[in-house]
Amino acid sequence: MSFMENLLMALSSLKAHKMRSILTMLGIIIGVGAVIIVVAIGQGGEAMLKTQITGPGNTVELLYQPSDEEIRANPNIFLQAPFKQEDIRALEQIPEIKSIVASSTQMSSVRFQQETADVSSTGINQAYVKLNEMKVEKGRSFSTSDFLGGRRVGLVSHVIQEELFKGKNPVGEVITVANQPIEIIGVLEKPTGLLSFSSMEVYLPFQTWRTIYGSSDFTQVTLQADTSDQLESAGKKAARLLNNMHNTEDSYQVLNMEEIAAGIGQITRIMTLIIGSIAGISLFVGGIGVMNIMLVSVTERTREIGIRMALGATRGQVLTQFLIESMTLTLIGGILGIFLGWGTASIVSFFAGWPSLISWQVVLGGVVFSMVIGVVFGLLPANKASKLDPIESLRYE
Amino acid sequence: MIELESITKTYLLGKENVNVLNNISLKIEQGEFVAIMGPSGSGKSTLMNMIGCLDKPTSGNYTLSGENVSHYSENELARVRNQSIGFVFQQFHLLPRLSALKNVELPMIYAGVSKVERQLRAEEALNKVGLSDRMDHLPNALSGGQKQRVAIARAIVNKPKIILADEPTGALDSKTSTAIMEQFRELNGEEGVTVIVVTHESEVAAYANRTIFVRDGMIQLPSASNRGASE
Repeated sequence: MSFMENLLMALSSLKAHKMRSILTMLGIIIGVGAVIIVVAIGQGGEAMLKTQITGPGNTVELLYQPSDEEIRANPNIFLQAPFKQEDIRALEQIPEIKSIVASSTQMSSVRFQQETADVSSTGINQAYVKLNEMKVEKGRSFSTSDFLGGRRVGLVSHVIQEELFKGKNPVGEVITVANQPIEIIGVLEKPTGLLSFSSMEVYLPFQTWRTIYGSSDFTQVTLQADTSDQLESAGKKAARLLNNMHNTEDSYQVLNMEEIAAGIGQITRIMTLIIGSIAGISLFVGGIGVMNIMLVSVTERTREIGIRMALGATRGQVLTQFLIESMTLTLIGGILGIFLGWGTASIVSFFAGWPSLISWQVVLGGVVFSMVIGVVFGLLPANKASKLDPIESLRYE
Repeated sequence: MIELESITKTYLLGKENVNVLNNISLKIEQGEFVAIMGPSGSGKSTLMNMIGCLDKPTSGNYTLSGENVSHYSENELARVRNQSIGFVFQQFHLLPRLSALKNVELPMIYAGVSKVERQLRAEEALNKVGLSDRMDHLPNALSGGQKQRVAIARAIVNKPKIILADEPTGALDSKTSTAIMEQFRELNGEEGVTVIVVTHESEVAAYANRTIFVRDGMIQLPSASNRGASE
């Protein structure tokens, strides 16, 4: 007797008790669905945390951590920007580096008409725009000539539009940043995602920023390379180069966000595992429901089993029939559960601004696992069916 | 063809051993039409289960078509039931969710017959019992006589050597009973199938060439059995 034959038989007997089959499946649907939701949201969250921490595509941040001696020699060292113009030019010579993203930030008072606010004012180079994917919701972004010419233009964050301009469109208005007039050319999109929060920010081309603040040093430098291997050697070379140039031992370092992200990934994975196991319990309970109903079904169909045995079915064939039936039940439940989990995870991520990831491994795992549940929890009822005495069963009313 | 040699079947009832079949020896030749009669509790159902390979004897030998099946495993007995024996029951025992055609196909599924051939042979069997226009009906939509015809079609579809009928007319009116018994006579006459009918109606037994009387787990001698039948 072929598998297909058994499958068709199982489907027809499940169809005969539609309501019961659906209710039994519900346990599996919810169980598989819950596991999929947890795993999808967990993996999505992990991926999101990683990209937010490491930043987009193969970058490392350079870090200046002065030694105790340096701090004793210059107590104001933390107030100074650690990266000089010549540092950047020297870094540009390292062949592995694709681009250098440099910026400098200072808190400044910003005024529009009568309103003033304390704002973080950041001077950026052109690579910064590209790497951080700065998108404007109104107006335009910086052009190359803005950077080269040091034009007095700026981008403001969404919060500034709300606080300083009371929600009116600020594009084309002139504000003063540290008493220097700046024309607003665009408003940045509201940041989305878990770790980003909107703050009062103004971005200026670095040339402009430097004339306002009279400093050509950078507070932040990020290196980008093509591959992670190149990035590693670029980071090492950069740190060595800067330590040589500044005559420091080990003050310039590479902040390896990958490692931190891996640590955080570990935490989210453990969280996912814990919540997933709780969801797995409901799957287990669903499996017990299947076993229960299959036991009822075997009792109800005692006569059918007797007839089949009289007609030449072996005990093995009866066992297989009921195993495939419970497996079909849980398999259909599992597939529906995957859709439920996928749908719910998509809805959750839509409203939470949180990506959900459904990998094919999870889907395959869900299918296989629900089949396994069908076999495991179908074993007892199927075994009971196959052990029936044909003579007794034929007499069963 | 069928040869029972000192068959005994003992059941443990409480602490007591009860001999349901007591040293029965019996021979049925190929092509015979035999009726087994006896009062309820006489052991005739157990005898039929024994002949039908649904039950194993406690002692004695059962030889079916030259094979000693008394020590066969359950799987081997299932094969013998499937290939050599066709069952017809008083309560028809059709699967209610399957159409007449699918019910008839059932024994061939366990015989491993291909789908196409199964359908062909099931149609042929239903034709033979005169139900070619009822093939797609569910058992519920059939009359008692029609149900029993489906059961007969199912019994003959694997071309067994023996048909075992347990009170085949017990649930039917007398007119339908006659038609069903005619069907058995036809199968016996035309195809040479050995037919064994368990019954307590003498009208049914009258179709047989030979009647075996069972009482208290033993086969009664013809002289004594005649008296038993007239009781």
